[in-house]
Amino acid sequence: MNTTLNRLPVPTWNRLGVNFAPAAAALPAVPDGGWGAAQVAESPLPAGVCAAAPDFADFSASGVGADADAWVRQNANFVRHIAVNEAVSAPLLYETTLDAAHPAAVEYLTVDAAAHTRLTVVQVLRGDAENGAAAQLTRIRAGQGAVVTLVQVQLLGSRVRRWNAVAAETAQGGKVEQVRLELGGALTVCGTRAFLHSRHAAYELTAAYYGSGKQLLDFNDVSVHTAKDTVCEMHTAGVLTDEADKILRGTVDFQRGAVNGIGHESEDVLLFDPRVRNRTAPLILCREERVEGQHAASVGRLDEAKLYYLRSRGLSAAQARRLMVDARFAPAIEKLPGEALRQEVRHFVAERLDAYEPLDR
Amino acid sequence: MRAYETEKTNVAAVDRSIYDIKDAANAAFEVGSGLTPEIVAQISAEKHDPAWMRDFRLQSLQIYDRTPVQNWGPDISGLDMRNIVTYVRPNTAMQGKWSDVPADIKNTFERLGIPQAERSGLAGVGAQYDSEVVYHNVRAEVAAQGVVYTDMESALQGEYAELVRTHFMKLVPPTDHKFAALHGAVWSGGSFVYVPAGVHVEIPLQSYFRLNAPGAGQFEHTLIIVEKDAYLHFIEGCSAPKYNVANLHAGCVEIYVGENARVRYSTIENWSKNMYNLNTKRAKVAAGGTIEWVSGSFGSHTSCLYPMSILQGEGARMEFTGITFAGAGQELDTGAKVVHAAPHTTSHISTKSLARDGGISNFRSSVVVLPNAEGSKSSVSCESLMLDDRSRSDTIPEMDIRCDKVDVGHEAKIGRISEDAVLYLMSRGISEEDARALIVGGFAEPIAKELPLEYAVEMNNLIHLEMKGSIG
Amino acid sequence: MNSALLQVKDLQVTVGEERKVLLDGVNLTVNPGEVHVLMGHNGAGKSTLMSALMGDPRYTVTRGQILFRGQDVTHEPADVRARLGMFLSFQTPEEIPGITLENFLRTAQGAVTGQPVKVMAFRHELARQMQALQIDPAYADRYLNVGFSGGEKKKSEMLQLLMLKPKLALLDETDSGLDVDAVKTVAAGVRAYHNDDNALLIITHNAKILEGLTVDYVHVLDNARIVRTGSGALVTEILQEGFASVKGDAAK
Repeated sequence: MNTTLNRLPVPTWNRLGVNFAPAAAALPAVPDGGWGAAQVAESPLPAGVCAAAPDFADFSASGVGADADAWVRQNANFVRHIAVNEAVSAPLLYETTLDAAHPAAVEYLTVDAAAHTRLTVVQVLRGDAENGAAAQLTRIRAGQGAVVTLVQVQLLGSRVRRWNAVAAETAQGGKVEQVRLELGGALTVCGTRAFLHSRHAAYELTAAYYGSGKQLLDFNDVSVHTAKDTVCEMHTAGVLTDEADKILRGTVDFQRGAVNGIGHESEDVLLFDPRVRNRTAPLILCREERVEGQHAASVGRLDEAKLYYLRSRGLSAAQARRLMVDARFAPAIEKLPGEALRQEVRHFVAERLDAYEPLDR
Repeated sequence: MRAYETEKTNVAAVDRSIYDIKDAANAAFEVGSGLTPEIVAQISAEKHDPAWMRDFRLQSLQIYDRTPVQNWGPDISGLDMRNIVTYVRPNTAMQGKWSDVPADIKNTFERLGIPQAERSGLAGVGAQYDSEVVYHNVRAEVAAQGVVYTDMESALQGEYAELVRTHFMKLVPPTDHKFAALHGAVWSGGSFVYVPAGVHVEIPLQSYFRLNAPGAGQFEHTLIIVEKDAYLHFIEGCSAPKYNVANLHAGCVEIYVGENARVRYSTIENWSKNMYNLNTKRAKVAAGGTIEWVSGSFGSHTSCLYPMSILQGEGARMEFTGITFAGAGQELDTGAKVVHAAPHTTSHISTKSLARDGGISNFRSSVVVLPNAEGSKSSVSCESLMLDDRSRSDTIPEMDIRCDKVDVGHEAKIGRISEDAVLYLMSRGISEEDARALIVGGFAEPIAKELPLEYAVEMNNLIHLEMKGSIG
Repeated sequence: MNSALLQVKDLQVTVGEERKVLLDGVNLTVNPGEVHVLMGHNGAGKSTLMSALMGDPRYTVTRGQILFRGQDVTHEPADVRARLGMFLSFQTPEEIPGITLENFLRTAQGAVTGQPVKVMAFRHELARQMQALQIDPAYADRYLNVGFSGGEKKKSEMLQLLMLKPKLALLDETDSGLDVDAVKTVAAGVRAYHNDDNALLIITHNAKILEGLTVDYVHVLDNARIVRTGSGALVTEILQEGFASVKGDAAK
């Protein structure tokens, strides 16, 4: 597919290469025999949630872009449209597993949450397959006062390429919370666009990523504020080892009318290897006087003083490293539902860290 | 806040119109509006260029022709190069003394305060009128130290010709972007500064540029070479009268900072509100050297200005302190770029942006840390202040880190004047207008304190002028 | 000689690329069961000695040797020393967001003992020690030292000491910045820790932390070396006449 993904909302110098995702991030070609079936285990719909006819005709584009959204809809081999009519406490679970017999999952999910309802949707991706592809488009409409939590845990193997497009529209007092852990795969392209077009609408992103090998990670998260008292919190923690190459674009867009809007954005990146490449483009766009926008980024190695403190308590360098990575990921991991999933994620990270051999310099 | 002590009288005394005086278009010679190899050759012949420069200009024109206009940043479609007079030569020859400068030109300069500035201790004045240097004076004591401060044309012919040839547009090649190519083809005027090793130029060198003739573009070139262990402070001030025809400024500044040398380059730009200011500034810093940029952008219709520092030697440092204030009809896209190309290099970028009355004030930056730059540190801090809901302020920073042994931090903030602070000041008897001006002045204070006193006063005056009538 | 816990021989310590000498020719022997007190003016090198003993990478040992339990640890990283039984109570402990105090202590105990930690027994002991130190049990789930007051950080260090049970405790002004009650609590913690098999090396400006301890040696550091070593008798002098007199003696 020849289309640009993850466009930076306002372009900058071309030679920096951040204006859109690199060519290697392109959507895959349809295999000769088609996509085959996706292998997705799903929990039964809880009371208060039902299958619905899709009503997302003029829905906002995701952060990855309208072309990618259209592509997922056309190619989807797993489609679910759900409506939420009550406050539901049990999470709705979609567990996708890739293997040789099921190397591709192209999933289109819409969530239409009526006023004052509540739902947590959990998407977990596991497994590995030659030329594996996992592409998801998730569209969320949060009605007045509704709260939709989207938890995405990506634990794919190193041969799978992955695209994760999310679009959210939030009505008055509604909130979309996204927890996104991108911990595996060969390629990760993620983009969320949240439209906060009604008063007191909110978007919250707690994200973590782990990049290793020659992995390419490309993110484009955008919070668009057009109404009064809208709030976004976008916080990402990352770890890069080996030759991982990452671009993170994070944009808070205060449009005219976003009076008293608040947008906080941060990224904290830990670099473990001299060969990594880490690019960050945090944008704040502002057309309104009464707003509060903030961005903070910090990039670097483990703090030597902290490392020494931990080692003075008997932790080896590897143990201290693991503990510090756990600490970075803690805000995201703590938001996962269920201790089993939390443990699985911690083990996945620990295994990848243990597999990493620091260059001797 | 020290400048506020004189604030009342200055606001009363400074009349915006002094920046907008225009002399009768009285140029001796103008080339045609379009840009062709013939025009470039004509410019070259007029300037008695050496052969290599003539070739360089023609090559640059070819690059200009094939390079597209940038596809990012402010809209510059209002520029039509076919209608820009690229070269205007004032009808006066080089002047040795102030009294020899023609009266109409002198009047404008005097109202802009140049002789006063000189009297108050500035080392030399290279004032550019249109495209040609008309006045030049280097103090004997500076020259005695071996410091060369001359116009670019003289430098190209004199004993420093070889130094010019080996440095000219080597930092900013014509291939850099379309307007760098244009500059390479039609550059005219500007300053050449050479500071020998170990020399500390105690007093700042100042150059005052302005545009005059309708439709004139200005393409001055500044080349500064500071050898090891030397120090220089160079001040560039810009002001231009207002015309209806779109004006273009595509100057170029190249600074070579030697080992353990330090260069401070201060700019207050106050171009008239129809100017397209597409200026390129770049410094290369050797081991242990320091480049300090202090930059205030107030004028112009559209600005693209991102001084770049290449930290080439171990332990090289850069500091950038900037303020940008955009009012009605203005789009000022400013910031800084830095490349960490050696170990233990340091960069600090600190900027303030203000936008009011429909103005657009953008911050744009790029921090690149190359794989060999271990132990480098970089911090970027940018703060924007929106003064109403018709204006716009975008913050567009980028970091590209290719080395793990680094410490890179970035902070951006956007906000508004605190109503509580306004109320507090008003409760102490200060008018609302003054209270707001005071708060904005305070916002700009970290920049003002980096400027020489007379420039800090001028900047505060500009802020007050910009703030006037901002209520209601 | 072989029974000595810690032997410092002719230690020279420098900092920075310019190799500024902070300690020069320090000799010190600490045996099991002993309590040593380290004194001196600010900047005399007391904290530097503690940091160098623990293996702080900011300092370089340019001469001499540190032997701990007979093993040369002069150039070993901090974790090797900790696993051998050395512990430093930091003057300003690091804040580490994302790691709870309990998780950290469990990880550290596992690292120091080299054995998996029995969760229930660990929790029980942690609760008991926190109670003894009058630390709010809720702090077990708080991030390590993050947002702790000065006093709470010192108590957190004491808690780590009591949980990790090292052979040698280096206490760097653990009693500074504490109110009267907190000092008593910390002193009680020190007494609870101390036995015939372990030893203490203490920097203090507040003799209260020594309450109930028998101090065996007092060392006065000045100008990068130990200029005077007194016996337990000097301890009585400290307790009765305070620091001023001892500092005065040291200056002579």
